[in-house]
Amino acid sequence: MRHPVTAPGRTENRHSVLIETIGVTKAYGSFVALDGVSLSIAQNELVSIVGPNGAGKTTLVNVLTGLLKPTAGVVRFKNEDIAGIGPVLLAKRGMARAFQLVHVFPGMTVAETIAVAVVSQMRRSFDFLAAIRSDSGVRARVQEVAAIFRLDGKLDTEARLLSQGEKKLLDIASAFALAPEVILLDEPTSGVSTGDKHGIMRTLVDAARSAGIKAIILVEHDMDLVAEYSSRIVALKGGKVLADLPPDAFFSDPEIAEAVVGKLFGQSKAAH
Amino acid sequence: MTAFFDILIGGVFHAAVLFLVAAGLQLVFGVQKIVNLACGSFYALGAYFGITCVNWAIAGHSPQWLFLPVLIAAGIALGVIGPFIEALLRTIYDRDESFQLLLTFALVLIFQDVLRFFWGANPQQLGNLSMSYGKIEIGALSVPTYNALVIAASVMIATGIGAFLQRTRYGRILRATAENREMSEALGVNVRWVYACVFTLGTVLGTVGGALVVPTAAASLDMPVELVVEAFAVVVIGGLGSMRGALAGALIVGLMRAAAIVFYAELEILAIYLVVIVVLIARPAGLFGKAVE
Amino acid sequence: MISAVDRKMTRYVPLALLALALAALPAVAQPYYITLVLPAFAYGIALLGFNLLFGYAGLLSFGHALFVAIGAYCAAVLSSKLGVRSFEAILIVSGLAAVVVAIPVGMLAVRYVRIFFGILTLAFGMLFHSFLFKFYDLTGGDTGIRVLRPTLLGTAFSDLDKTSFLIGPFYYYCMGLLILLGLTMWRIVQSPFGLHLAAIRENPRKAEYLGVRVRLFRLVAFVISAFYCAIGGAILAINTGQADPELAYWTHSGELVFMTVLGGFANFFGPLVGAFAFIFLKSELMSTTQYWRFFLGVTLALIVILFPRGLMGLAERVRSTWAGRRT
Repeated sequence: MRHPVTAPGRTENRHSVLIETIGVTKAYGSFVALDGVSLSIAQNELVSIVGPNGAGKTTLVNVLTGLLKPTAGVVRFKNEDIAGIGPVLLAKRGMARAFQLVHVFPGMTVAETIAVAVVSQMRRSFDFLAAIRSDSGVRARVQEVAAIFRLDGKLDTEARLLSQGEKKLLDIASAFALAPEVILLDEPTSGVSTGDKHGIMRTLVDAARSAGIKAIILVEHDMDLVAEYSSRIVALKGGKVLADLPPDAFFSDPEIAEAVVGKLFGQSKAAH
Repeated sequence: MTAFFDILIGGVFHAAVLFLVAAGLQLVFGVQKIVNLACGSFYALGAYFGITCVNWAIAGHSPQWLFLPVLIAAGIALGVIGPFIEALLRTIYDRDESFQLLLTFALVLIFQDVLRFFWGANPQQLGNLSMSYGKIEIGALSVPTYNALVIAASVMIATGIGAFLQRTRYGRILRATAENREMSEALGVNVRWVYACVFTLGTVLGTVGGALVVPTAAASLDMPVELVVEAFAVVVIGGLGSMRGALAGALIVGLMRAAAIVFYAELEILAIYLVVIVVLIARPAGLFGKAVE
Repeated sequence: MISAVDRKMTRYVPLALLALALAALPAVAQPYYITLVLPAFAYGIALLGFNLLFGYAGLLSFGHALFVAIGAYCAAVLSSKLGVRSFEAILIVSGLAAVVVAIPVGMLAVRYVRIFFGILTLAFGMLFHSFLFKFYDLTGGDTGIRVLRPTLLGTAFSDLDKTSFLIGPFYYYCMGLLILLGLTMWRIVQSPFGLHLAAIRENPRKAEYLGVRVRLFRLVAFVISAFYCAIGGAILAINTGQADPELAYWTHSGELVFMTVLGGFANFFGPLVGAFAFIFLKSELMSTTQYWRFFLGVTLALIVILFPRGLMGLAERVRSTWAGRRT
């Protein structure tokens, strides 16, 4: 198989690397889902992970977010090993994740949902007797986050009454409210109509910037979005890294275009 | 030695009856995901009705040795209530599991007074009828024939259910519906019919179990609530939803009970719950069950 | 389900009126009815705790009568075997005993959810019941242990006979306890902790991703609920004068759930309403027919099928229809 292609002269400033995997392999018996995957994500990067179904994207994402322990190799976040630490510790260390399938708290309002994250981030979970409703610090922060996602008009609406798109935004908003340093967005525009996709991505990227998020990992099928917003694209195939390049280099390499992009482009073009 | 053997047989007999009730529970849970707190009530109903039927039969001058078939028939006849109760439970299938538990608890309360209404507050029994079958002698050891018959019947039913689930087409349909209800419906399975049948079968297993126990034990109003306790111990040890678990759990509980009565009567039911807790710490899903959290 | 937003100033006025009515009760009503209010207070306190676990955290326990029994037996052992007559001491010991038992039981139980949690808690409740039943020397077996009248804030009230004590100073003391513990529980559910419990109930996985330690919080809710149940149990025992093993039987746990659902688990005051409603309903039924269990069962079935949000749910529906008609 080809060697992974990286852009010549890509700076790797060790100090700004936030997440890295070194030689991560994940095997389930004889089935190898990930094979020696090494990548790193540094500050101010928006790295997209692409690849056909079965390429190992989900496995890689689960390793990156501490859900799965690699069979071999190391995965680090801010220089600390995060293999298998689980979602709670991950959130506390500063990484948040939003899922493809929308996860909400059906009976809780928008404000309450965001408040859960805010309170968690403020480390006030064990506050037994403070009245959360009247806590101005929490309310201000909830308002702030909701406004970024244009949900501030629906603060008192129960999540199950929101539209599908709003639920998605709420899901992502609550992840943002954790004030993470890195956020992983798993197909954030899936289920959204083509016309809205760019709008949502724009909102997300702007929100990330204003929320002080230092890096974004994006898992996406839509190559238009990937081309437009990524600072770097990592393509997976058969559990290995096929390419790890900035968009220009990625899309102008004919071999990649054929092996990965051709298929995906074909798919995405056909789908839309 | 004879004492030990008697206790062993007693324990296996108890296990045989427990298995029937637990199998009913597991079947209903496996397919419909309902935990039936009223399983003990069905058991008690079988016991009381069994006594009544035998008394009728005797009053009708039927020979005494017919009482075992009469008991089994009584248990099976009670299956008619199955579809009605299932219809009641159907109203809340889509709701949270807590409501299902609560509705079956309501049934426990209701049945408590239904039993009281028809049979009064005093315990009832069949006297020494079970002895009329005599004993089977194996060298120095003897087994009451009745107990042996019940154990054999239970084993046959266990094998029968196992074969039914694994080998017959209908059994496959049942297992498929248990795995994935929507898919089964999409494939043309009449799920409502399946649910009604399964629940009725579960009910019959309970009522037959109760009917079979009355020659050796009295039927009392404590039966419904006491049996639930043991039945749940069985399914927790064996693993919820597993038939093999029902068998294993029933054997463990039955034998432990027998052993405890001999060695330290105080510990009787305590021992069972200690085993429950140990099993749960070591294997949270029970011996044969699937993962829970 | 419960919105952690249980505000509404309009509730405070009816509450204050209710408190006044309850306070005036001993002066105007017959002793019989007042002796029913005491168990209602006791169960009210117990259910406030129970509903933290059920309504707010979403875990249905079928074994919480275990903690009610712990409270009762602590009261019994302290008052009649150890000569400790201070009600305050009894309350503290009952609460602590419940907490001590709830921690290991809870640690095991919260590894499970839903039906498994219910069955496991049922098992623990029955384990305790059989312990109470069998160990005659320690626990008095099936007759249980007597509970002697305690002193309230140091005062013995020895000039009052049993009934006068119960419907007099003890009544007001328990009412005070109910108000105090009620206010505390209100603060707990309105707090960040309460918010996180609701999140765990609504979607445990998502709660984890927002940094909520699901198992730990469930355990804490379990322990707090055990504490409240024990306090209720102590009051019950002093009211009846006896602690007996049937307090721990699983059907008693079932009654706790029944009361909660009757009043409405999705509302803070539901359990309190449920406690009062159940006690009075049961007493009326028992004096009317010997088949009262049947009617109780039918009532529960009707609630589960038709009125799952209980009496408070019904009240809210009425109120919103009324409000809708006015606008």
